[in-house]
This record gives sequence, C-alpha cells and structure tokens, in this order.
Amino acid sequence: MPNGAMRYTRGRGNAQLPLAIVAVLAIVLVLLGKAQSSLFDRARASFTDWTRPALEAVSAPFDKTATWFDGIGDIFVVYQENQRLKQENARLRQWQSAALLLDERLKRYQLLLNAVPDPALNARTARVIGRASHPFLDTMIIDAGKQEGVKPGQAVVDARGMIGRIFLSGERTSWVLLLSDLNSRIPVTVQPGNIQAIMAGDNTPNPTLDTLATTTPLKVGDQVVTSGDGGLIPPGLPVGVLVADGRGFRVALLADAGASQDVRIVDFKLPPEQPPAPSPNDLPASVAGLKPEPPAPPPPEQVLPLQTTQPSAAPAAAGTKPAVPGAAPKPPPKQPDNADNGDTQDQ
Amino acid sequence: MSDRIGWSFRGAVGASIPFLCALLGVIASNLPVSIFGALVPPPMFGLMAIYFWCLVRPDLMPPFAVFVIGVLQDLLGGGPAGVWTLSFVAAYAVVDRERDSFAGLAGIGAILGFAAAMLIAGASAYAIISIYYWRLPPVAPIVVEIAISVVFYIPVALILGVIHRRLVGPLRGDF
Repeated sequence: MPNGAMRYTRGRGNAQLPLAIVAVLAIVLVLLGKAQSSLFDRARASFTDWTRPALEAVSAPFDKTATWFDGIGDIFVVYQENQRLKQENARLRQWQSAALLLDERLKRYQLLLNAVPDPALNARTARVIGRASHPFLDTMIIDAGKQEGVKPGQAVVDARGMIGRIFLSGERTSWVLLLSDLNSRIPVTVQPGNIQAIMAGDNTPNPTLDTLATTTPLKVGDQVVTSGDGGLIPPGLPVGVLVADGRGFRVALLADAGASQDVRIVDFKLPPEQPPAPSPNDLPASVAGLKPEPPAPPPPEQVLPLQTTQPSAAPAAAGTKPAVPGAAPKPPPKQPDNADNGDTQDQ
Repeated sequence: MSDRIGWSFRGAVGASIPFLCALLGVIASNLPVSIFGALVPPPMFGLMAIYFWCLVRPDLMPPFAVFVIGVLQDLLGGGPAGVWTLSFVAAYAVVDRERDSFAGLAGIGAILGFAAAMLIAGASAYAIISIYYWRLPPVAPIVVEIAISVVFYIPVALILGVIHRRLVGPLRGDF
C-alpha cells in the first residue's frame, strides 16, 4: 500500500511556528469571509469569468456523454414512452383550450375591475457550463453575467419549474444557488389553500417546508409555487409537489438541476408603489399644525376630474367600463378593495 | 557546472511536484461537471495529495503550501471563504504531529489513516459551517464526501506512489 513501510522523520521544532501562523491566517480568512464576503465573491466571479472558455470546453463532452447515456436507457422504453406521450398530449390539448378560455375570461375580469395587471416578465436564456455539488453547497454556473443584464436575486427556471436564484454574477458568468442548497430560502405558496410557507434547502434533493401557521392542512401532492413575497421572484412559478417525510413534509422539486442544460433567468422587479396624489382635502395644513393658507382657486379644467373621480368609482366597480380610463388616476391602495367588491359581485 | 545546473533544475521541478499534484487535485475536485448527476460529491483530491506528501515528503508540503491549496479549494468550490482552508490545516496539523504513526501504516491501515485525516477535515468543516450559519446542517452529505474520498484514495495513492518513486524521490536524509 502507498505508505508501505516508509518511515520518515523530520525535526518538528521549526515546523510548529509556520503551522501556527497558517492556522491563524486560516481563521482570519474565515472571519474576513464572514464580514466581507463580497471580496471573496468578486475574486470568485472574476476567476469564473476568466476560466469560462475552459469550463465550456470541459463541460461539453460530459454533457454529451450524459445525454448519450440517458438515450441508451430510453431506447428500450421508446414504444411505451410514445404511447404515454400521445395520451399526455391529448390530455394537455384539452387543458390548453381550457387555459386559453380562462385566460381570456381573466383578462376580461381584470379590465372590468380596472385591476392592476401582472407585471411583464423578461427572461434571458443561458447555458449551464458547470455544476458543483459539495457537502455544503449546491450550485451551477451559467454563461450569462452582468453584460447580459443578470443580477443577483433573479430567479432561474427550466422548462419544468424553478431551479434556484442567481447569487453571484460576474461579467460573463453567474453562479446559481440551487433550491436544494443549504442557504436557499424562498417564500412559497402551497395550493390549494393558498398557504404561505418558506421553502428551505438543506443539501438534500427535497427541500423542507416551514409553514407560517402550525395548523395548516397540508397533504401529499399539493402544488408548491412561488409566492412572490419580497418582490424579487415572480409569483406563480412552479416549484414542486409535497411529499411526506416522517412527521412533516418536503418538496419534491419539479426541475431537475442535474440534467438542465438551458435555463431561463427571469428578470422581475415590481414597480415601486406610488403614493396617492395629494389633494387639499387629504393633507390639510391644520393637521400638521401649520397655519392654513387661503386656497388658490384652481383652474376649472383641473378641478373637474377630481370631483368626478369618486362618483365614477362605483360604476367602475360594478362592472361598467370607465368613461376615460386613466384620466383620473386612483390611488393604488384602493384598487384591491374595488377588485374584491367586483369579484364578489361577479360570483 | 552544467551538471549542477541540470541537477538544480530537475530538483526544483521535483520539489514542486507535490504542490502541483495538490493544486491539480483541487482543480479536479472542483471541475464543474456532473458525472453522477450531482448525486455524489466529488472526492477531495487536494487533501489526498496533502496527506500523501505530508507523510512521504514533508519537506515538500509545508504548512504555507497547505494554506494556498485550501484557499484555492475555497475559491473554486464556491462555499464560504476559509472553511476548507482551516479544515485542511487542521487535518495537516494532526497528520504532521502523528506522522510516525501514520507513515508506519500499510495496506488497509494506510487507507484508514487517510480516512482519519479526512474525518478530521470533514468534522472541522462541519463545525465551521455550523458556527458560520449558526445552525446544524445535515450530516449525510459530509459523510458521503468522506466515504467517496476514502474510496478514491486507493487509486490516487497508487498514482502518487509512482510519481514519488519516479519523479520526486525520497528525502535525502533517508538515503
């Protein structure tokens, strides 16, 4: 065996001092990394940018080999797979027509209720050029960075669902923190029931689920989607399904981070909520303890919309189309009330 | 004169081989490729080289070399800074202190010797991560990491043994 009967000795008196210095340096490095993680992250991002061509060259044959091996297994079940896909396709066509119908109806309701439309999602496709699964870290590297508009915090999805979030972006490459990673925490919603929870990775394939309420009636097979809380991740991204795990539940992820080769980075940012436009009635100077100023008579064309805003809100909520949409902007906090009212009336 | 220069060049190259082996091991461990679908973590090739050369040529694997290897492992691995650096240094300190005991091991004992070093490094990393995040991460991934590294140490040690005999040579004081 390698060590064999070799016996080497060395005077240890001189070796102790460098060892102690190195141990102190290592402890300082840990503390520095905790206090100033951006220093190390920047170095890591630069290094990944620099080695990007090598990463692409190295990962390409491995990806090809993995695809080839997967294909070998598929050959033996190609007939059954074809039959299953035909049935699934027929079923999905039915769902597609139902989804289109519901989408049209939803748009009509939103128009009637003057609801805030869902923010548009911009997505950028990137290729996975590396994967790393270490005891305390589960990541992948993609070939898009700051130059492509990729920023930390953005969600990364594949065709099946969410994979993770960008946690470090270099100029041309980015690191993705997978949902199964120890540091991953994302707000999710369990459906049906709209149960809010936090999905936490623990470096196992199925992340845990910390529900915010203790008596929530969860059951196996419930769908888990992103809730959108926090405004970084868009709501409604499919994440996984609940599976039983002893006393609690875990989430079986829909996306397969180990097999994904092309992913999409979702650029999502909620527009900042604008405060309602101040009016003389909303902000009387006397409330603030100031001497009220004599109101200047506004021109007639500016007074009219303000006076007609309140009466027009009721017919709009009742389902009639507003006469001049957007002519008199309503404050955003009032819109959910209108939406709720309209929804109740429609039902 | 030319013989002396040639000898010096060969000596310098030979002296740098252990460090280069460890660097190569760290790079191999952190190649971002998924051979087993990311189900199995990559073995700690860097620590294998540190352990091996610390036993057979301790003069060519000084503590500062271990520090640099650990920093590279942290840089490429993507984890928090310094975790594996400190873990490698901890394992090195124990192996360096008990070198005579470790170097005397043969066969299965040699593998168990590396398993002990890997256990020290893994336990250190686990402890540091626990303090770093202030919560206990699952034990299974680090146990799998230790197990897979021990399994891979067998062929790696054979290769390093050949490199030791052919390219590096024994310590001059042991002739």
